[in-house]
Amino acid sequence: MGSLHDSRIHKWFATSPPVAWTVRQLRELLIGSLKQGPVPQHVAFVMDGNRRFARNHHIETVEGHNLGFESLARILEVCYKTGVKVVTIYAFSIENFKRSKHEVDALMSMAKVKLQQLAEHGALLDRYGASIRVLGQRELVSPDVLLAVDKAVAMTAHNTKAVLNVCFPYTSRHEITTAVMKAVATYGTPIHNLPTPSKRTFSESHITQHLRKQMLEEDTEGGAEQPESRSTSPSPKDATSAEDGRSSSTSTAINSSDKDETQNGPTFLDPESISAQTLTDHMMTADAPPLDLLVRTSGVKRLSDFMLWQAHENTSIVFLECLWPEFDLWQFLPVLVEWQWQQKKLQEEQQRIRGRSKSD
Amino acid sequence: MATTGLTPTQAAAFRRKQLSAQQREELLKPFLPSELSETETRKKIRRRQSQQNASKRAHISTPIRTFLHIAIYHVVALLFSIFFRFRRAYRLARGKVVSLLKYHHRTPEFIAHDVKDLDKMPKHLSVIVEYQEDDESQGTAGLEGLVNDVCEISAWAASAGIPLLSVYERTGVLKNYLPQTHASIWNTLEAYFGPRRKPSLSLRAPHLSSYSPPNTPPQAAEPNGSDLKEERQHLTVLLLSEHDGRDTIVDLTRTLAEMAQKGDVRQEQINMDLIDAQLNDHVSCEPDLLILFSPTVQLKGYPPWQLRLTEIFHLPDNKGVNYQVFLRALYNFAKVEMRLGR
Repeated sequence: MGSLHDSRIHKWFATSPPVAWTVRQLRELLIGSLKQGPVPQHVAFVMDGNRRFARNHHIETVEGHNLGFESLARILEVCYKTGVKVVTIYAFSIENFKRSKHEVDALMSMAKVKLQQLAEHGALLDRYGASIRVLGQRELVSPDVLLAVDKAVAMTAHNTKAVLNVCFPYTSRHEITTAVMKAVATYGTPIHNLPTPSKRTFSESHITQHLRKQMLEEDTEGGAEQPESRSTSPSPKDATSAEDGRSSSTSTAINSSDKDETQNGPTFLDPESISAQTLTDHMMTADAPPLDLLVRTSGVKRLSDFMLWQAHENTSIVFLECLWPEFDLWQFLPVLVEWQWQQKKLQEEQQRIRGRSKSD
Repeated sequence: MATTGLTPTQAAAFRRKQLSAQQREELLKPFLPSELSETETRKKIRRRQSQQNASKRAHISTPIRTFLHIAIYHVVALLFSIFFRFRRAYRLARGKVVSLLKYHHRTPEFIAHDVKDLDKMPKHLSVIVEYQEDDESQGTAGLEGLVNDVCEISAWAASAGIPLLSVYERTGVLKNYLPQTHASIWNTLEAYFGPRRKPSLSLRAPHLSSYSPPNTPPQAAEPNGSDLKEERQHLTVLLLSEHDGRDTIVDLTRTLAEMAQKGDVRQEQINMDLIDAQLNDHVSCEPDLLILFSPTVQLKGYPPWQLRLTEIFHLPDNKGVNYQVFLRALYNFAKVEMRLGR
């Protein structure tokens, strides 16, 4: 493909009213017909390839990102029209801060303007009743951008039909860590419940060791003597209480440990009740339906720290060769149709299994 | 007004204050058509009626449009399903040809020759294999098929010089047969490499102790064994299951929560490094390359934390473990440049 300016005649033809009208009608027709089959409820996109597109077409990198945004608007329209409830986009990774300052600044100012544009009354999101949510590490963003982000979020907060999750400075590991932290925080605050100790694969001494190592590094700041004094005492007691926990009633075992630990004996939620669901509820996408489809453009076959927790089970992951600014209904349609096809196969298989189990 | 000698319109142009509604109407009146006559109003009413009819027609046309949509949906689905079938047939045929041309002949030299030109090899290779209950597709069902797959992949990895191979299988049945699996892989390695050159092997699973019989077969060439052992490579095979994914992170959370309840850990001490170190020690490190032998990319519960920057390879429409997928994955891996967000 040559430069963008070579295709002027082609562009003239494509934008001439009859052609544009036909294409628009065709799009509507296809989108309407896609709606008749199963539709993924939650789709995620990794918008990769803006810079390569810019390089290939000899335009500024920022211009590439701009075209990428236009592509995003088109795809959002397709998604919401077909009935996708939640769209999650990987807008900016924490790793992206390593890029040149010029580019990061340009991206940030672009985010400010574009979020505003998306959120405006009567604009794309309003038309489809979608609200913006921003997932990620807010503290890494400069306050003026944050202000614009919050404004965009507030402007669309009243919409309930669909959601656009913008992963702004986001990495999945950070998300998981935050979820673990929150879960620990909830279970670490006293409440009227009884803990039951038991054996697990992670040894506490090992973790304490790691913590101590961390502490040694921070030792200059001081104030790190509390855990060391404790780390030796709980391990043997823990083992014994775990052993007699089954034979004797658990409450006596807890009472004794409570006496050891603290005088007024605060009680906690049972850590055994932590499940994968608990962590899922603490993820940033907690209220979204499970991720059905993840699309990454530009032929890179990696998740790159995106939606690890959400996408590692039954999500269909699709890697496409085309670059993000080129991504449109025509590239997305085969993906959706194939997904529908797989879904139909899956249903048939489930029915067959059910039928077999009935006949047995 | 008269004193300044301005016409009313000129005065209006310079006037600052807002005109009242009445004045504005007056201003516009000369440009409007005259009042509607009787016939015109009737026409207008008729027009309105016809408009209503049109909107009714639009109402009628919605079922037609829905019908059209359903029809197009089925046509598109049909066309694509034909297309998918042809594509699958084509890919399978091509795969067969490639696997005929590139066969390893159960000889490590062939495999080493195949990967000779690759300037980048994964240090940690991971594969996802499936435990199939029923024998529907190929003869790769049940435990026997699974063990067979794992043995073959281990032998290929050893021949290609990959030191660490992790095998993910959702149910984790193989973890119950650690010694037997070790013996099987050992035998396969012997079949590939011969008794004297075969690499040493250790089999490991998270939460279970490593299984590597220290002095494996007694006939391991004692006379010049000392310098041979120096050259001999080592292969570690790691068995992963669904439990090593979410459940392990949940386990870690439980342990941390318990520690927090005792006051051994503060909330701000929990960070990415801590979790990473724990999961690294107890499960595995990040694989460089993940090979799927399934027709589509579905991770089926593979440990999420470790997947961060892993290159994921799958051959579309491929079914079952075979050598060409393994080889193509390695080729693909060598071509790809690593971009850490830069």
